[in-house]
Amino acid sequence: MRQTMTALAALLTGTAAMAQDLPQADNEWFTAAQERLQQELAKAPNTNRATNVILMVADGNGVGSNYITRVFSGQQEGGLGDDYVQYHETFPYLALVKTYNVNAQTPDSAGTGTAMMAGVKTNIGIIGVDSDVVRGDCSTLPGNTVASMNEIAHEMGKATGIVSTARITHATPASAYAKTVDRNFEATVPEGCDTQTDIANQLIEAMESGLIDVAMGGGRRNFVDASMEIEEGTTGRREDGRNLIEEAQAELGAHYAWNQESFEAAPTDGTPILGLFESSHMQYEADRGDEPSLAEMTAKAIETLQASGGENGFFLQVESGRVDHANHAGNAGRMVRDGRAFVEAIRVADEMTDDANTLIVVTADHEHAIGLNGYCGRGSNILGLCAEINNEGVETTGEPILADDGKPYTVVGYLNGASSVLLRQPGGEYFGARPDVTEEEATDIDYVQQALIPRSSETHSAEDVAVYAKGPFAHLYEGTIEQNVIFHVMHHALTAE
Amino acid sequence: MHRRHFLTLSAAGALAAPAALRAQAEEPLQLRRLYTDDRDFSETARSLEGDRVLFEGFMAPPLEANSTFFVLTKMPMSVCPFCETESEWPDDILAVYTKRVYRVAPFNRKIHVRGELELGPYRDPDTGFLSMVRAVNATFDYA
Repeated sequence: MRQTMTALAALLTGTAAMAQDLPQADNEWFTAAQERLQQELAKAPNTNRATNVILMVADGNGVGSNYITRVFSGQQEGGLGDDYVQYHETFPYLALVKTYNVNAQTPDSAGTGTAMMAGVKTNIGIIGVDSDVVRGDCSTLPGNTVASMNEIAHEMGKATGIVSTARITHATPASAYAKTVDRNFEATVPEGCDTQTDIANQLIEAMESGLIDVAMGGGRRNFVDASMEIEEGTTGRREDGRNLIEEAQAELGAHYAWNQESFEAAPTDGTPILGLFESSHMQYEADRGDEPSLAEMTAKAIETLQASGGENGFFLQVESGRVDHANHAGNAGRMVRDGRAFVEAIRVADEMTDDANTLIVVTADHEHAIGLNGYCGRGSNILGLCAEINNEGVETTGEPILADDGKPYTVVGYLNGASSVLLRQPGGEYFGARPDVTEEEATDIDYVQQALIPRSSETHSAEDVAVYAKGPFAHLYEGTIEQNVIFHVMHHALTAE
Repeated sequence: MHRRHFLTLSAAGALAAPAALRAQAEEPLQLRRLYTDDRDFSETARSLEGDRVLFEGFMAPPLEANSTFFVLTKMPMSVCPFCETESEWPDDILAVYTKRVYRVAPFNRKIHVRGELELGPYRDPDTGFLSMVRAVNATFDYA
């Protein structure tokens, strides 16, 4: 085997000449791969110290979910989908990431957020603390907190921000500023818990201290008392009589935005911005009304942080929070549309910054129990039915493949969730048969792909995610890494001599 | 769903007029068509107010047995609406008040509901559930 490899290496030396001599040298696949080879040979590591770092996380967007969004995007633009290249897939460096939490094979966003933002893996359900903390036990917090990228960047004189389409007090954005023994302490803490405050209060304190300059997302209800009515006819969730939004405006001079108009009115001169665009999570991209897109929020945040940080630069975390939620619902149609919105935010972030001094890291915190069926022909609608391969051409015949039960099936499916094909019977047992499904039904925005195991909500999975990177020290993202290594490369890029 | 199974389900007379439902070839109205992007009532909803309309969706698990009320959702949900706060509940839902006490359908089985469309806020006296859109005097069948 070794001899074979040696001989092959010798043959491949001097690829241009070699290519001319092979019968397949003019094949378009061959020439495209040769071009890619030349790009790889021309790569040069960027070892500048990073002025800016942008961490972009699509929650629940593992390799499988990312693939589905890639094909969807390609098909939306008129192609077959498979060969489409998403913006971040042009980045020069890539690694696979192991996402498990210290005490959980299947991770959650609290443990994974802490790994990426503080450089240590921790337990499921806790944020900004190490694995010595017992979830829900406030007495275990002292002595076990960890510093986040935002805190480190702030100490270096940089501006920092967070943007998410989930509640801004949700696990991933909270990993930028919160230390909590339970991710669910978003608006209140249990009676007798005197070692920490709720997550919303911690965000306002972080803004008051100058740690966070920009915070935009959903979750308005966690900042206002339950007795108070707020925008869009909703009430708060707090139990301390406080209105943190008014406090941020009065004491911090923050610009408060809650809809598209007040978002567009937000200054970009470095004035702190608190954007809370929904009572809970922001809307899915497919349903988005009077609120900004993830790309718009990303652009606004970068402009503000560039003004606020000046020559010292900035750190920004951007989360596409609802890829995860759509997967939890078993609704691939909304998942891919939020996935596309995430890619647009990546493009905006890259176009507004300079590769020479800005490290952009694109990843997911975990994958879902999502899967792909076969054997589908090229051009099978990624949200529709798996259709026959065309042996006399490239594109599928369009004829749905039938399973052994005589019914067609979709390309995408889920292993568990509320869309289980098993139905609860009056005696409590579950059994059933797969419903029939047409292409029209499967491609409806509200369609939920068939799942196997019945659960109230589809789950995460422990499968690897990818990390894509460009800019200073991006080349250190290589191989298969533990998730907490993501932090260490970002930190190295910011501090390299 | 086979006819035989349906008859078993409705043996107590809980489901009304299944034959009439099956005879209809009309397309059921999707719940999202009741609303605009800004969560206001759509023109479709306003034009159908007071009419008997056919909807499709899923029965969220009801809180009480022997009820005449359930929530129809556009996607299957295995939790009851009263176990979650209003803001956690999806936007596109329909409160359904049936003609008679009904038997619960599995939460993940698509159903067709026919009822008179009512618009405007109404708080259910038993559950406290605040609905904005309802189908009343309703019957349902498996899709």
